Amino acid sequence: MKQRSSSLGPLLLVLLVTAGTVAIILWSLNSPDQVRVFLMRLVLISLVIFLGILLIRYFTLLWFGFMQHTERDIEGLDQGEMPPISVIVPAYNEGAVIAAALESLLALDYPTYEIIVVDDGSSDDTLDVATGFEGHEAVPVRVFSTANAGKATALNLGIANARHAFLFCMDSDSTVEPETLRRAIPHMRDESVAAVAGNVKVINRTSLLTRLQALEYIEGLNMPRRAQGFVAAVNIVPGPVGLFRREALAEVGGYETDTFAEDADLTLKLIAAGWKIVYEDQAIAWTQAPDRWLDLIQQRYRWTRGILQAIRKRRGVLVRPVPDFPLWLSAMEMGFEAVVWPMMNVFAHLFFAIVALLFGMGELVLYWWVLLTLLDLGAALVTVSMEEEQLSLVPLAVIYRFFFILFLDVTKTFAAIEELFRFGMGWEKLGRTPIRAAGEGAQ
Amino acid sequence: MSILDILITIIVVTILVTIVLGVITYVAYKLRLARRPESPRDEEDGAWYFERHVPPGQGTEAG
Repeated sequence: MKQRSSSLGPLLLVLLVTAGTVAIILWSLNSPDQVRVFLMRLVLISLVIFLGILLIRYFTLLWFGFMQHTERDIEGLDQGEMPPISVIVPAYNEGAVIAAALESLLALDYPTYEIIVVDDGSSDDTLDVATGFEGHEAVPVRVFSTANAGKATALNLGIANARHAFLFCMDSDSTVEPETLRRAIPHMRDESVAAVAGNVKVINRTSLLTRLQALEYIEGLNMPRRAQGFVAAVNIVPGPVGLFRREALAEVGGYETDTFAEDADLTLKLIAAGWKIVYEDQAIAWTQAPDRWLDLIQQRYRWTRGILQAIRKRRGVLVRPVPDFPLWLSAMEMGFEAVVWPMMNVFAHLFFAIVALLFGMGELVLYWWVLLTLLDLGAALVTVSMEEEQLSLVPLAVIYRFFFILFLDVTKTFAAIEELFRFGMGWEKLGRTPIRAAGEGAQ
Repeated sequence: MSILDILITIIVVTILVTIVLGVITYVAYKLRLARRPESPRDEEDGAWYFERHVPPGQGTEAG
């Protein structure tokens, strides 16, 4: 995909819609009482509809997630039953963090596995750091170098050179828990399972921004994934932690290079081919979250557009639930979580704030907002408890609701509009600092 | 001004300020992207190739 800086078209479009809404509201202030009453009723109905959708979303996710948590009864495998696994690590300019990733892989508690690093034409010392791990006594480590062609191509190269029937793909800015492979592999006893999505957590909880993301990963990303796992229809196997059946990847042709969310695209392909995708919350990867606001915006912008690109490739399915119902459901759910919900959130907040100011309906908006915050606090408490995470993250749900989610949703809205109008887009590498967990080096 | 009015004011102002900040940050991100120098990959149209890395001291393929 060629880089072409986009214009401010989406911004103008949003400003135009906002100005139109404000104009209608202002016009209604000087209109006959009947019009005003009609509009006020419209506001009330909008509030109720928004709350209804929100409540259905929260309780469906929480209930399914809870069921997945309590009914998880996957029996572990004996040491002798564990099949060998090829671990694939694509890397581009990750010299500062890849050593930590490889050290965590070498510490995996698993009988037989190999590690394949694919350096995607890095201009830093990624290749040198990775080759330093070759020749390890217990675990074979192989390093490949390619001209820079993108993560999907690097992953495909790793898959092509893998020796085993099960492939574990991870990001080079992440580390994994020693138990990760051991926890994920038993799901593969079910031969209809193509992939196991793991649990991604934020490691660098050193600032308010990264702590908010830690909560977001638990409440906003893992909660839907856990719920999807209950029906074996996880719609994104995350880049930092995913175990795949090689046969399934071969059947669908591996990763494709035409989206910016190759993980979402591949998962949809597997679902379309009739495979199941499950979730394992004990297969844990720790990832480095962006610690600068612009880097965070850049990441979410790319995720949103990438997911929309993956859905766009299957747009025919969106209007035809049968016969590909699992694919239709996954694509719809993915589109709702990534685009529809964030856009609704932004426009609802804007609309209700303007109405509160102009119609004197502030009290109603206050109660609406308090309910949203209580829901977020409740969801945070439940999900943090299920993951046995730090309870100190729960109070952050207030800031999460008050500022963080709305702030991110603005970018997601713009990204969705840009993708809708097919504005150009390119990769931009996130800044990296060596992986550091909360508390380390804090003094 | 009652407590309720103060809370309403805080919430409404925070919502509006957050949205404005979101828009400003998005514009800043687009400006940063526009000012980024083009990467070599953007300029090339040639075919991509793969080069197998051979660790120092090994004459054959790695592994």
